[in-house]
Amino acid sequence: MKKIICIVALLAILPITISAGQSYLEVTAPGNRQLQLAVANPVPLSGGENTGIARDIAELFRFDMTLAGPFSVMATTPTDSKSGIRPGDFSFDSWKGAGADLLIKSGYTVSGTTLTLECRLYDVTRGQELAAKRYSGSVTDLRRIAHTFSDEIMQVTTGERGPFTGKIAFVSKQTGNKELYLMDYDGYNVQRLSRNGSINLNPDFSPSGKEIIYTSYKKGNPDLYRRDIFSGKEARISAHRGINVTASYSPDGNRIALAMSKDGNSEIYIIGKDGKQLARLTNNSAIDVSPAWSPDGRQIAFVSDRLGKPQVFVMNADGSGVRRLTTSGAYNVSPRWSPKGDRIVYCRQQGGFQIFAINPDGSGDTQLTSQGSNEHPRWSPDGRYITFSSQRGGREAIYVMRADGSGQVMVSRGKGSDTHPAWSPRW
Amino acid sequence: MRKGMLRCVMVLCCGVIFASGCAKEEMVKKEEPVAAPAAPVQAPKPAQPAAPREEAVTPQTVKEAPASIKEETVQVAPVSALEKIYFDFDSFTLSQVSRDTLAKNAEILLKKLSGKIQVEGHCDERGSDEYNLALGEKRAKAAVNYLVTLGVPAERLSVISYGKEKPADEGHDETAWAKNRRDEFAIIK
Repeated sequence: MKKIICIVALLAILPITISAGQSYLEVTAPGNRQLQLAVANPVPLSGGENTGIARDIAELFRFDMTLAGPFSVMATTPTDSKSGIRPGDFSFDSWKGAGADLLIKSGYTVSGTTLTLECRLYDVTRGQELAAKRYSGSVTDLRRIAHTFSDEIMQVTTGERGPFTGKIAFVSKQTGNKELYLMDYDGYNVQRLSRNGSINLNPDFSPSGKEIIYTSYKKGNPDLYRRDIFSGKEARISAHRGINVTASYSPDGNRIALAMSKDGNSEIYIIGKDGKQLARLTNNSAIDVSPAWSPDGRQIAFVSDRLGKPQVFVMNADGSGVRRLTTSGAYNVSPRWSPKGDRIVYCRQQGGFQIFAINPDGSGDTQLTSQGSNEHPRWSPDGRYITFSSQRGGREAIYVMRADGSGQVMVSRGKGSDTHPAWSPRW
Repeated sequence: MRKGMLRCVMVLCCGVIFASGCAKEEMVKKEEPVAAPAAPVQAPKPAQPAAPREEAVTPQTVKEAPASIKEETVQVAPVSALEKIYFDFDSFTLSQVSRDTLAKNAEILLKKLSGKIQVEGHCDERGSDEYNLALGEKRAKAAVNYLVTLGVPAERLSVISYGKEKPADEGHDETAWAKNRRDEFAIIK
């Protein structure tokens, strides 16, 4: 049965004149001052109160906005009443008094299995509305609906949508075997994708977000598979003798870079989505693995031990112009180019692993993590966040953080060791 | 829903809004389930929605893949007669001890065993799993190459790398790591 979803953008007015290229934040909070953001308790718009839904919505907004970066989410909210959420239905005074710059108001209606959620973002100081949306959907889609408004808040305040409706694909050992899973970026709604009892590694999303490629030992050899997420259909696209590993979709989604050893030892190749070899990029006796495309598709960062120990190198996408990128540290691996092209994140072994980021010209090398051992960094599609796996005392789990290393928070809540996260494009 | 639209229209009438900030109203159909494409999988690339359009808020259901058809995997049985060999960290160089062990293994392969052998290369947990997949293969190939020089026919030998995915010892200390940086030898039936 097809269900028609109605999304009504009630209002989208900007309260102050913002010239092209400037976002609300740049005008309102120059100098990177964090805006105090309050999340009002969600209220029933009609029908009865549902404390479970209200709590989930409020917690979700608080989590998203805390990670977001530009905001400091206020710990307590003023006792603002039973009041409404629409302009004129409540007073800004108590919010102003509490020091809030921004305010999220939301109201819900549950009717059978249908949820209507109306969300509004206010500039408290000016008493103006910045965004207003009403979403209707299934009650079971509550989290997706609320994350959609979080993405909208990022759009309105920064000029670029948030990545909070995205999913994270990852590998989990909760059954005893490394199987593929999918979850919301904040760890909810975990779904198992593979069920082969073998070893499954390195998921990577296609730019469309509809497919993943991954390496699996399910037919004995570490081969590369391409899988349609929604139908579950998949094809084994690279099954050469030896390894077929660390595959990565090109930014245009038409090619795949990967490491194969079919010609003797691990080298970087480019293949089509059907597995047909298009180019061989490296040719030497050292290990070459983990190719990572620049967002314009013109360059590829990769790992090679051609100078003795594994280091990150960069080459043109035709294999020419190889240059060493990382010069500090004895063991640097797992590079990933940021979606905006300005940074390359990678892992350095120093005892355990730590995540670093470096400019593509080799300058600005910065350590982002220091607690426990941290691996497998991957960017959010907007490049403002990084997901990674971390072992801090207990089992390995999936974390997210801002691109500068701040705001690190665990998101996977599974029972097994969780690794290899990959953040999907907008879902 | 109708009430919502009505309210939307009413809001539209308010004069305070800039023309560019006018209320937008649209019906977004729930995304169709992605049709099962024939293998190889076709990328269903939906057209980019026009500017102010909102994504559908109801997600598609991710269906569990149908239980895959049971594949016949190569039966690999460990052979205790063939001894494992061990490596230093981030190294695939054969030590003298390893060479001596391989010489013993070669003799067994030439005199007592007639089957094919798969050499499994393994690593300890300290390296990156991606790099270790390649390193494990180099370890397996180092053993194969040496066995060939000792007269074992190359066609009887194959390699597979498990990187750090199959540790022999689940511990997290040097004793465990030393046991995990290894080649194992298995008969393929």
